[in-house]
Amino acid sequence: MAEQGAADLGNNNNNKPEASEGTIIKVTVKTPKDKEEIAIAEDASVTQFKEEISKRFKAKQDQLVLIFAGKILKDGDSLSQHGIKDGLTVHLVIKTAHKAADGSSTSASSSTSTQAGNSSASSPAANPAPTTVPTGSGQAPTQTPNIMSGFGDLASLAGLGMGSANFMELQQQMQRQLMSNPEMLSQIMENPLVQNMMSNPDLMRQMIMANPQMQQLMERNPEISHMLNNPELMRQTMELARNPAMMQEMMRNQDRALSNLESIPGGYNALRRMYTDIQEPMFSAAREQFGSNPFSALGGNSDSGAQPSRTENREPLPNPWGPPNSSNPSESGGGTTGSTSTSGTTNPSVSNPLGVNPASLGNGMFNSPGMQSLLQQISENPQLMQNMLSAPYMRSMMQSLAQNPELASQVMMNNPLFSGNPQLQEQFRSQLPIFLQQMQNPEALSVMTNPRAMQALMQIQQGLQTLQTEAPGLMPSLMTGGIPGVPTGGAVPAENPASSPSSAATNPAQQQLMQQMLQMFAGGGGSGGGNGTSQTPEVRFQTQLDQLNAMGFINREANLQALIATGGDINAAIERLLGSQPS
Amino acid sequence: MDKNIPRYNVQLYIYDLSRGMARSLSPIMLGKQLDGIWHTAIVAYGDEFFFGGEGISSCSPGGTMLGPPDTVVELGETEVTEEIFMDYLSSLGETTYRGDRYRLFEHNCNTFTNEVAQFLTGRSIPSYITDLPSEVLSTPFGQILRPILDSIHISPPGGNIINGGRNI
Repeated sequence: MAEQGAADLGNNNNNKPEASEGTIIKVTVKTPKDKEEIAIAEDASVTQFKEEISKRFKAKQDQLVLIFAGKILKDGDSLSQHGIKDGLTVHLVIKTAHKAADGSSTSASSSTSTQAGNSSASSPAANPAPTTVPTGSGQAPTQTPNIMSGFGDLASLAGLGMGSANFMELQQQMQRQLMSNPEMLSQIMENPLVQNMMSNPDLMRQMIMANPQMQQLMERNPEISHMLNNPELMRQTMELARNPAMMQEMMRNQDRALSNLESIPGGYNALRRMYTDIQEPMFSAAREQFGSNPFSALGGNSDSGAQPSRTENREPLPNPWGPPNSSNPSESGGGTTGSTSTSGTTNPSVSNPLGVNPASLGNGMFNSPGMQSLLQQISENPQLMQNMLSAPYMRSMMQSLAQNPELASQVMMNNPLFSGNPQLQEQFRSQLPIFLQQMQNPEALSVMTNPRAMQALMQIQQGLQTLQTEAPGLMPSLMTGGIPGVPTGGAVPAENPASSPSSAATNPAQQQLMQQMLQMFAGGGGSGGGNGTSQTPEVRFQTQLDQLNAMGFINREANLQALIATGGDINAAIERLLGSQPS
Repeated sequence: MDKNIPRYNVQLYIYDLSRGMARSLSPIMLGKQLDGIWHTAIVAYGDEFFFGGEGISSCSPGGTMLGPPDTVVELGETEVTEEIFMDYLSSLGETTYRGDRYRLFEHNCNTFTNEVAQFLTGRSIPSYITDLPSEVLSTPFGQILRPILDSIHISPPGGNIINGGRNI
């Protein structure tokens, strides 16, 4: 009966017919690969159970590890001792010789990978952000993945279980580690070697120049090399790179400066030009180098030196799950323009434009959580977009929507989002045909499949959002028909809450909502990924408060009150303040 | 009797992918209140393990780009050693939890976490997390977005992929 032990439900096991005493229970045994139901006597021992299992799973008994409720079942125990009853599930792991070896090596590698992250802090000369401390021996190192080989064949570092023998990935992973661990970052920063290097503008410049993409970029845009050659600027940037708090401050200033820029006649166009000429290629260059890691410039990456006011703002805003705004050169662009605009005149041709397209400003819905991660995923994975768009249902959906505006509008109207808002519906309806056409437009499709373009679009929106918080009064004049410029299937409802604040200046509740949403994004991005929601009003309205201060409203309390009352709307707040102070 | 069997603490790290936006926006967008878009990971043996579009990954606790978790739930202790656990993960990573098996709604990070939690401690993760997909799908908006969402793979960067020992 031994061989039939499995089929024989009556008896539990081979040579021990004591089963007839206890009742038979059915226990499910689950491995990672499959599961089986095993019948066994209630009072059987674990050994007997294992015998059954070894027959069923064709494995040796000593390879079996049984786990129940977090406990490992030892041979000497009995099933009832562990409380194994009828219908319960026991987990099984089958140890195979090579698997055991692999298991230990994977665990070794996973622990070493964490250690590698830490060791990088202690031995920055060896392998930290390959971007910051290459050799330190004064040569002009390339900052690409060849870092490792520069150290005398440290290729074996890959074997540390960093997960990849590909140096590019290694580098990326290093960066990730760095970014995920701010202490490590600051440790690296504090290392005298790093500091030495960073305070040596020549070295930095060399490092930057060594990057082929930078070189390309510099050829196309001589202004960049001007920037590089300006020691003052370099120093400032490196200072900033060291000090995240300062960086945030700087970013805020830049945002404000940029919004000022907007208001200058012709400024908007200039900005737009700036964006397309400079921003785009720069960003692409940076991205190509660092994969899809928006924070690649973090950690005093020499590239950040390269584009001092440009990318520095990418840096200490590790909040990728929030809007990628903070990570993007779009805002960093504000840096240089900030400096140029504060010096009095516009000429934003120098550098980095915000790439503002106010039309898509306030695409609040577009930046909803799902959308954000969707967009994040999209930009990180061009394949994804391709797949999505080529999925048969997608295409037919779009086609049918395009052909049948009625249907489309119905679908959209049913969305609870619109139900309380007839204005929105109206707007949307008028936009709909244009939008649908755009969806069909192959160009639009190619934009969607181009991760960089998507990223750029996202930046635009982020910039616009920031703008809106900074200068809400600006919006009505800028919010023209630009909305259809941002296609994404299913994100249609996204655009409308956006357009509503502009034309629906009559809808204060809506506007407040938008303000809040935008502030959350701006706040969430600006606070460096701390906690998005739970910020005191003071923090949330920081920028507005600063602006009010700048305008001469020095009573902080009153300002705060007014801002809270108006939900962050500066103009309304000012009116409130003026109303209460007659002079 | 327990003769000094080493026990390992197991925790559940819960992240809100929406950073609080879901809590505020879900009533408008979906028509029902969702407190967050939950991503979870298991933390044990000093490492964090989670399932994403690339398969099972691990990193140091709180080491993904999501930063520190919003909530930490103590799942209890386990006797399972790290070696056995890694074997287990390797098997999982080759079968039901390969990267291409990721499905945002049906077979996502929370599915993985739930299974691992049960393996290690016998307990499941809180139901509000595992109920999230069905909650979303039961709204009209969720239904509309479903085709798109289905193709999303959530993969917080910052982890190393566990690949059944074929790591390198």
